[in-house]
Amino acid sequence: METSFAITGKGYVIVAADTTAARSIVKMKTDEDKIKTLSEHLVMAYSGEPGDTLQFAEYVSRNIRLYAIRNLYALRPAAAAAWIRRALATSLRSRKPYSVNLLLGGYDETEHAPKLYWVDYLGTMDEVPFAAHGYGSYFALSLLDRYHDPSASLEEGLATLKRCIDEVSKRLVVSPGTYKVKIVDKDGVREVEL
Amino acid sequence: MARRYDSRTTIFSPEGKLYQVEYAMEAISHAGTVLGLLAKDGVVLAAEKKVTGKLLDLSATKEGGYGGSGEKVFLLSSNVITGLAGWTADANSLVNFARNAAQQHLLAYDEDIPVELLAQRLCDMKQGYTQFGGLRPFGVSLLYAGYDPQYQFQLYRSDPSGNYSGWKATCIGANNGTAQSLLKQEYKDDIEVKDAIGLALRTMSKTMDSTTLGSEKLEFAVLTLDPVTKKPKAKIYRPAEIDALLEKEGLAKKDEDTEMKAA
Amino acid sequence: MSRSYDRALTVFSPDGHLFQVTLTATNRNQLIRVIYRWNTLAKRSARVGVRGKDVVVLGVEKKSVLQLQDPRTVRKVVMLDDHVCLAFAGLTADGRVLIDKARIECQSHRLTVEDPVTVEYITKHIAGIKQIHEKYTQSGGVRPFGISTLIVGFDPDDTRPRLYQTEPSGIYSAWKANAIGRSSKTVREFLEKNHKDDLSREETIKLTVKSLLEVVQTGAKNIEISVMESYGKVTNLDLPEIEAIVAGIEREKEAEAERKRSRLAATAAGQAAMSSRADEGASGTPGQ
Repeated sequence: METSFAITGKGYVIVAADTTAARSIVKMKTDEDKIKTLSEHLVMAYSGEPGDTLQFAEYVSRNIRLYAIRNLYALRPAAAAAWIRRALATSLRSRKPYSVNLLLGGYDETEHAPKLYWVDYLGTMDEVPFAAHGYGSYFALSLLDRYHDPSASLEEGLATLKRCIDEVSKRLVVSPGTYKVKIVDKDGVREVEL
Repeated sequence: MARRYDSRTTIFSPEGKLYQVEYAMEAISHAGTVLGLLAKDGVVLAAEKKVTGKLLDLSATKEGGYGGSGEKVFLLSSNVITGLAGWTADANSLVNFARNAAQQHLLAYDEDIPVELLAQRLCDMKQGYTQFGGLRPFGVSLLYAGYDPQYQFQLYRSDPSGNYSGWKATCIGANNGTAQSLLKQEYKDDIEVKDAIGLALRTMSKTMDSTTLGSEKLEFAVLTLDPVTKKPKAKIYRPAEIDALLEKEGLAKKDEDTEMKAA
Repeated sequence: MSRSYDRALTVFSPDGHLFQVTLTATNRNQLIRVIYRWNTLAKRSARVGVRGKDVVVLGVEKKSVLQLQDPRTVRKVVMLDDHVCLAFAGLTADGRVLIDKARIECQSHRLTVEDPVTVEYITKHIAGIKQIHEKYTQSGGVRPFGISTLIVGFDPDDTRPRLYQTEPSGIYSAWKANAIGRSSKTVREFLEKNHKDDLSREETIKLTVKSLLEVVQTGAKNIEISVMESYGKVTNLDLPEIEAIVAGIEREKEAEAERKRSRLAATAAGQAAMSSRADEGASGTPGQ
């Protein structure tokens, strides 16, 4: 089942999402990228109703890009998160709401700090040091409570992430096989292999 | 025949000018002077009030509100103040529009509107009034003094055509040429707010028509960062505070009696 | 039909006061007939676009920034999307509004068809907005956008550089090289004489600078050059680079002038020699 994690550390935020595209009980493909790069220093992991997720992610991505090209600099993570949350909250009150859960990881260039936001389909949002969505969160959150360190180096952060993924693989009945992992820091967004 | 091209806002003249826009600018060149100064640690606005009179009741502004007489200098957002020169009625509607735009941005993004974006919002509307028929341009120029985390302190100026530009020190309204050349000589790139206040007041005292400077003719505001919260803090001076400031800078009205005594 | 527009207007008079006028259908049509917008464009500074083999260059004449002005807010060349660049000549406020519309279209296009716009598509879109305005100039009391644009860029999955021009009337066209704004005729004539197909990067930049120098007397400090080399790769040359190119062009010009002088001198010397020989011949005859 769909699972995504995000962890902040010293000057970075790691965002990971499984790569399974499933329909009912069938795995359709296992190399789906569910993390969209919204700007130079902002990524968004999305999960939820297939179709809704992609539609919403693209809508968000184009709007964030439009803001950047109009103003010559991108929205800061906090402002982008606020806008995205509002989009979901508005959608919730429409005839056909988007059913999408999000993790927004970014690096604030004016504050020189990593930022992480947890957003759900009801339009709930909070800034958090670590976050997870999906079934995996039931295992990962307690682990992260114990092992998360906001001043951890990137290696330590990745090790903590590995711990979460391993636990999910071990305990969850329908655990996803592979994950995509992206890191945002002062140099921008990059993908890493675990 | 010259009038053939000048009555419609939306017609180009043979010289390629929009006369309505130029006339609107002419209207502004008679208005009270507004002067803006960008300092290292803040922005200063000074404005000359035209509506004066012994019977004018300013008691409300002395006590409540955020200061000022509400004629020339306004708070647009918690991070932007403005000084306007031109038609007061037009100015009021622009202030209203700007405050709305600022709050809409705050609602959408949960952050103060970037200063340039606010200037752009107003200018886009002003531009529309030069392009679509049946309307006349706004007869107002504005100075925007503000702060945002991207570009820190900023000072912008916009005119009725919908153009805007960024400045270190600038001036709109009557005698703006004189003030501009004075500023050119006196302005230093690393000026601090405390010196900028003095420079602004001195320049105003030289360009204003009247010989004496007092709170009944002057509005004054400063935007700085709060030393504790690091958030922008606008201060629009109350009349008594302006008089105190003038006193400090040695520009206050001299009492005739004391002058006599000195003589 | 025209009745609804024959209304009283509150307008500014030359001395800055407000007054009301009533327009009649006839004088309005007279007014519309004399939209001398091209003159507007002629006053602004010059912009040049040149297409090379696999590069396209925009050159802009920039007015010196006033002493107390913030140069950041003076923008001559703007990006519409990652791969499309635009320069305009005319009313700045109109330009800003039009650019904003184009930028929205670029992102909207990506959202609807999942592809970036082609350069021609966005040119057509901009021309379309202008055309609508031109159309309503006749009936709706709207004035046309007082700007011309040069649009350059690369289409997605394509290596050929593109250069388009739009005019206030809504006409658009593709070019190998073109100029808009001040003295655009002079610059265009220069480009017509000197442009060759398949110019290299350096040659394209040089031709752009050279053509601008035809109308910009003050040299490198008033020239801005943007180079687009492939999809999304844009560089703005800095002042020393432009200065070097200008210096190179001046040296060439001097060398050319020097050659001309020496050639002239050579012919003059030849002629002198010839005539002196003739003289000798003439003076020699009686002696023989």
